[in-house]
Amino acid sequence: MSWSLIPHLLVAGITNGGIYALIALGYCLIQNATGLVNFAQGEFVMLGAMIVVWLHNGLNIPLPVAFAIAILLVAATGILLEKGPIRHSRNRDILTLVMITVGASISLRGAGMMLWGKNAHILPSLGGDSPFIFMNAAILPQSLWIMALSVLVLGLLYFFFHMTLLGKAMRAVSDNRMGAALIGISANRLIALAFAVSGALGALAGILITPITSMSYDGGLMLGLKGFSAAILGGYGSVAGAVAGGLLLGIAESLGAGLISSAYKDAIAFLLLLAVLFVRPAGLFGKTHVRRL
Amino acid sequence: MIEHEREIELKTPRTAFLPSNWRYLLAFAVAILVLPVFFRNDYFYLFFNILALNAIVVLGLNLLVGSTGQVSLGHAAFYGLGAYISAIASTTFHVPLFFSLCISILLVAAASFLLALPTLRLEGHYLVMATLGFNIIVSIILGQMESLTGGPSGFPGIPKLGIGSWTLATDREFYYFIWISFLIIFALTLNLTESRIGRALKAIHEKELTARTLAIPTYAYKVATFVLSAVYAGFAGFCYAHYLTFISPKTFDIFYSVQIVTMVAVGGMGSLWGGLAGAALLSALPEVLHQFEDLQVLLYGLILMAVLVACPKGLLPFLAASASPVLSRLFHRFGRANPTSDRAHAPKRGGISPAPAEVPPARAITSRPDFREEPILKINSLSLSFGGLQALCEVSLEVSPGEIVALIGPNGAGKTTVLNAISGLLKVQGGTISLAEKGISGLSPHQIAARGIGRTFQAVQVFQALSVIDNLLLGYHKLGRAGFASACLRTSRERHEEEMLRAQALDLLESYGLRQMALCGVQHLSLLEQKLLEIARSLAASPRVLLLDEPAGGINPRESELLMGHINALKTKGVGILLVEHDMNMVMRLADRIYVLQHGGLIASGTPSEIRKDPRVISAYLGTKQAGKAGRS
Repeated sequence: MSWSLIPHLLVAGITNGGIYALIALGYCLIQNATGLVNFAQGEFVMLGAMIVVWLHNGLNIPLPVAFAIAILLVAATGILLEKGPIRHSRNRDILTLVMITVGASISLRGAGMMLWGKNAHILPSLGGDSPFIFMNAAILPQSLWIMALSVLVLGLLYFFFHMTLLGKAMRAVSDNRMGAALIGISANRLIALAFAVSGALGALAGILITPITSMSYDGGLMLGLKGFSAAILGGYGSVAGAVAGGLLLGIAESLGAGLISSAYKDAIAFLLLLAVLFVRPAGLFGKTHVRRL
Repeated sequence: MIEHEREIELKTPRTAFLPSNWRYLLAFAVAILVLPVFFRNDYFYLFFNILALNAIVVLGLNLLVGSTGQVSLGHAAFYGLGAYISAIASTTFHVPLFFSLCISILLVAAASFLLALPTLRLEGHYLVMATLGFNIIVSIILGQMESLTGGPSGFPGIPKLGIGSWTLATDREFYYFIWISFLIIFALTLNLTESRIGRALKAIHEKELTARTLAIPTYAYKVATFVLSAVYAGFAGFCYAHYLTFISPKTFDIFYSVQIVTMVAVGGMGSLWGGLAGAALLSALPEVLHQFEDLQVLLYGLILMAVLVACPKGLLPFLAASASPVLSRLFHRFGRANPTSDRAHAPKRGGISPAPAEVPPARAITSRPDFREEPILKINSLSLSFGGLQALCEVSLEVSPGEIVALIGPNGAGKTTVLNAISGLLKVQGGTISLAEKGISGLSPHQIAARGIGRTFQAVQVFQALSVIDNLLLGYHKLGRAGFASACLRTSRERHEEEMLRAQALDLLESYGLRQMALCGVQHLSLLEQKLLEIARSLAASPRVLLLDEPAGGINPRESELLMGHINALKTKGVGILLVEHDMNMVMRLADRIYVLQHGGLIASGTPSEIRKDPRVISAYLGTKQAGKAGRS
């Protein structure tokens, strides 16, 4: 065990943590709008990455354009999922709706396998592959991009939810759907919007992680689970919690892998999850609900 | 004619060891035994054997969903633990099969117990999250502890199932073994759902807090159900390991858990027969779709979504509905009238139920009985606050046996809060509450209910998933003794107890004029009837004190007249009644004493005539004299 590794591990942890946080935010938005756990969130991540791979590597479309197209397409996929099966399910039971997202997740994975095969694909990193050294840690430009874009997205989300009428309406819907409807807010439109933003966030996460870890048709599964755990860790439904949970999970995983055992890397992440659930079930930033008759 | 059938159905003795719909089970068993005639090769046996294993895991998960409304994403872990523990015990340590079964079941039970203990105390998504984390950790451990588990490349050379020299060597032998095992477990589980415990589990799923006030230890039952469902998975895992003789961690990862949950969802959450259908469909789908190669995964996902979207209550709703009384409501939706629960077929009832006793005329002080008996319920300077809001401040009151004490006050005065504190739904922060000289503050709601405090609710709390008689039988929960084991096995004692309680319940329904409706769903009852049912349910276990929360709310004067008759009749049985009510007519006529609550504090107490004259009460509750329009009562 080498303590000099720690700065390096921290950087790696924050990089992954930023990705987890973006995915966790996607879970969080849909949870707040509908009370659902969207198991297709991981597939949004995969789709985003694969579409950029296809556009850039296959059709030679410049990266920034491919980025924009991929994010829009995945956002549209999110809307389709909501407007289609979820809206039209005859059983409104939450568990059934959640299982529909599981179905969607399997379908998207199947579609991904058909379109892009079973191989892993990679994207060129942003800003080149030569790391620079900062405080004993080798930092890839891609890591900086991830951190910067995560912070930017967070800022935009904060602005959206607190400064715009639409964002405030969305918060109103998640707080009290009936009350929001009574003052003329269309919950359905905002729920569709939540799915679209979740899709976009997932796609962004996928595009950003691919240059580091590569992506295959089933690569979204584990990332989706990690993002879900991050959301729980922070307090399910809390935006600040999703970010804190993501970073915490990323750092714990990275330190665990570097200092204890890389084989048990994922186990450490989930042990942390269990520990938090047992000690502080509402998560780090969650609120406990009081239920009344 | 219908009347006759109804009587038969009400009184039919329970069959020994078999669920009441054993005919379906028999038909199914025959089909299973005959099925191999059509098998062309061993591949069919393999498929049906795996299906049976899936079906056992699904059965356990369904039991859990049915009782807690929560799913577990960790059943693959219990399945895997069952398989690996037995494999290691029997192969590495040469433990005889029977003992390795015992060891693996015990360890699976212990693991699930430890996992359930902290998580089931809470409501919400916690169980899903904790089981998900647990599953991932278990699969990583199975993959990494190579010296013990063989690591990712798997664990070979596990002995086949068998006793002594006789082993289940072929797929065909295992087929009969595993399906007979499944049938036995299925029958036992059906028995459980039709028992006293099963009723309680349904109640917990629907309204957990209400179930607690009916003396049902909800937490203990949820933990027990979780452990039981994990044991099912562990047993299936044991059979899997000793059938295939080779296991690898991949089989037991989180995706198998998800697959099991989708089987439950496709079959209809909590429906045992539906779960079987869901398991069959989703086990068969990959085999059928195999020919489509790359399209396979996509088609599987799309079909899964289509079934979930299109079938509101899961696959084969008719089969499920005919087999499970829980889903009998479905019959109405599909227009196939079920004669026992359709109101259109219910016998004509002569108006509303008869009033059992004379209602006392307008209040006369002389008719008030003498209370020489000691108060049964004593509340001493009870205080309670919600955050910064002082909801109750130093409230003291007493109720004697056979006395009706009314608690009145303006909206928001804290009346229901007093009742909730007595029933243990709210934690007392100051003061004491005692029942028959024994302190009850700090006990949990089910313990308080078991000590003899019954209650009704402001918004009537009946269970939609249960028939009228089953709703009432929940009130008898405390009197029953049959636990999980005797309910599963349907022992003669359990049957005897159930028949006895049923007979008592029918008598009680009779006296409330509801007997005709015994087998109907509660949604067919009028509000008054639901309120009567709720009162009957709270009386079933002969409480010493009854808390009534606005019994007259939402019913018309004629109906409240009838209700008053029933409440007054309880008085003569020596039950102490604490009545919260806004209907002053009812309060003044029924109450022996009245306490008046305002802003969480008592402002007056006394007989109805004293209260009527009390200036503080008039100004606080009925409006000030200056307002001049205080003649509401």
